[in-house]
Amino acid sequence: MFEFFGDVGGAIMAPLYFITSVILSGFHNLFGGIFGDDSGAAWALSIIGLTLVIRAALIPLFVKQIKSSRNMQLLQPKLKELRDKYGHDRERFAQEQMKLFKDTGTNPLASCLPLILQMPIFLSLFRLIDRAAHGETRGVLSQDQVDSLAQAKIFGARIADTFTGAEGESATAVRVLAGLLVIAMTATTFLTQRQLMTKNMPPDALKGQYAQQQKMLLYILPLVFAIGGIAFPIGVIIYWTTSNLWTMGQQFYVIRRNPAPGTPAAKAKEERDAHKRARKGLPEPESTGTTTTAVAAPSEAERRRQQPKKQSREQRKKGKGAPPRGSGRPAGGKPR
Amino acid sequence: MKWVLIWLLRGYRFAISPLYGEVCRYYPSCSAYALEAVTVHGSIRGSWLGARRLLRCHPWAAGGVDPVPPARVSRRHRGYRRAKHPDSMSQRIQGA
Repeated sequence: MFEFFGDVGGAIMAPLYFITSVILSGFHNLFGGIFGDDSGAAWALSIIGLTLVIRAALIPLFVKQIKSSRNMQLLQPKLKELRDKYGHDRERFAQEQMKLFKDTGTNPLASCLPLILQMPIFLSLFRLIDRAAHGETRGVLSQDQVDSLAQAKIFGARIADTFTGAEGESATAVRVLAGLLVIAMTATTFLTQRQLMTKNMPPDALKGQYAQQQKMLLYILPLVFAIGGIAFPIGVIIYWTTSNLWTMGQQFYVIRRNPAPGTPAAKAKEERDAHKRARKGLPEPESTGTTTTAVAAPSEAERRRQQPKKQSREQRKKGKGAPPRGSGRPAGGKPR
Repeated sequence: MKWVLIWLLRGYRFAISPLYGEVCRYYPSCSAYALEAVTVHGSIRGSWLGARRLLRCHPWAAGGVDPVPPARVSRRHRGYRRAKHPDSMSQRIQGA
């Protein structure tokens, strides 16, 4: 029984080891020539190179996602309607939102495919490095390469060592480096999530249960990364950190170039575009009349229309000292 | 086996899923779908349904609402099954 599962697992892993090891040894030939074959720098850079290749290979999926989220501006009024109607019921809102996405053929979500493709690569790199630490080869790596990988050190820490498994003089360096990388991963993921929340979501989407869930996340993140940082070898954590950095960069790019309408990021982009137009002496968007600006205009107007309402409410609050409306939510939810 | 899968999926939903934020193009999300499928249909058919859903979740798919098909039960056992697994099952999982 166990042998059977072992065989099935081996058959699944074989092509993954092949892909991972071919890319890794390719980069190692390149960086080994520069830094020396047994240097930690060559191996660490090879792992970073592997990450970049994998993430770059997923760019077509990402482009497709961006394209299918292009009409989000048109959907914004409908989404707001749904939010007003079902905002209190997250499940129902999620359902109605998905229905809307399907009916309009516009879906800003990335889908599970990039995740599903990356997980086996991550797993195979983990197994590859883990086996290398025991002197076993996987994929196309030669015994020499495996021995070199098992002994290679970056900043004094052996790449194949884990936080708990490290021994000898390199142990402290392994623990310090693992700790630093865990902090880096937590920071990048935290920044990615926070940027999405504060810059690329309409303010009224951040109320209630959803925001609560996001706050919970900020406590779970460091915990998960810490567990990963303890269990995985340095080489795997290097992969993970690089991948996180890529995700962050990718999202910064999207939010800058393609912000969700009615959000602070969209406002910032409008201001940048206006600056650019002024600098180049181009006319205002109304007179150029392209479709995107024509669509953006109502959402801008809508955003402006909301603001006086907000101000008057605050003024009322200040003036009378009475709660503005029975919103049903306890006060002091969101700072800012 | 069923419980191993259920705990694996719960572990994923608790620890790993939050790292990536909201990505699934369907409702319920792939992991919620798989969890419900395994709970309702058992490990073999549930895994099959979950795997098929994962393959459907790509950037070229329109997404939308895609619930787990209801359990196939013989007419004889229907009353018993319903008493044991009330319809609130799906809501309980998705709310988790």
